[in-house]
Amino acid sequence: MNLETKLFGTVGVSEEKKIHFPGGIIGFPDLKDFILIHDEEVEENNKISWMQSVQEPAFALPVINPLIVKPIYNPMVDDKLLKPLGEWTDDDLLVLVTITVPSDLTKMTVNLKAPMLINSKERKACQIILEEEEYPVKYPIYDILKAAKEIAEKEQGH
Amino acid sequence: MLALSRKKKEALIINNNIEVTILEIKNDQVKVGISAPKDVPIYRKEVYMQIQKSNEEAVSAKGMDALRNLF
Repeated sequence: MNLETKLFGTVGVSEEKKIHFPGGIIGFPDLKDFILIHDEEVEENNKISWMQSVQEPAFALPVINPLIVKPIYNPMVDDKLLKPLGEWTDDDLLVLVTITVPSDLTKMTVNLKAPMLINSKERKACQIILEEEEYPVKYPIYDILKAAKEIAEKEQGH
Repeated sequence: MLALSRKKKEALIINNNIEVTILEIKNDQVKVGISAPKDVPIYRKEVYMQIQKSNEEAVSAKGMDALRNLF
């Protein structure tokens, strides 16, 4: 099928690439089907992808692997909350957090409090809210990404 | 919205498997007990709204073009 998107124009999607959120995402319970689009215009070391709604062309969330911006990210989650994911093992589980990119990039943040958990085998997912206080909704990442870029450039230089 | 009056220790049953009990009433604060299956997510509304807002803000991604140039 072809998918109309605001950011990427028309994208060809095979049915098996769809990721199903049985409960929708938080605040948007009706948006249940997404595809993960990798943004190739952003440099490789940045690793930003987009969780693009199948139903809503204008709805795409930039997401990133939390370990890129927070090396220790190991929240406690009650297994029962992961029931929407179906059957999975640790190897199947993909964790992503949303990125907020305001006009002022120095104010970029990731939402560590509400990760998206994806069972890559069955392609089922959910977004949950963590109880733990240590994971903020707005975790600043500008300095972290900048430092990572500088390190990568230095390594390339040698 | 369905509005029901309840006294202390009275409860409501929702969908055969969720019980909401009024545990305590003190001035303008009510303590509510909820028994629900563990796979039913229960959030304080203000926390839920905060995450909804965060999702909305992420969708707008105003600085994405600038980000492409920077990193």
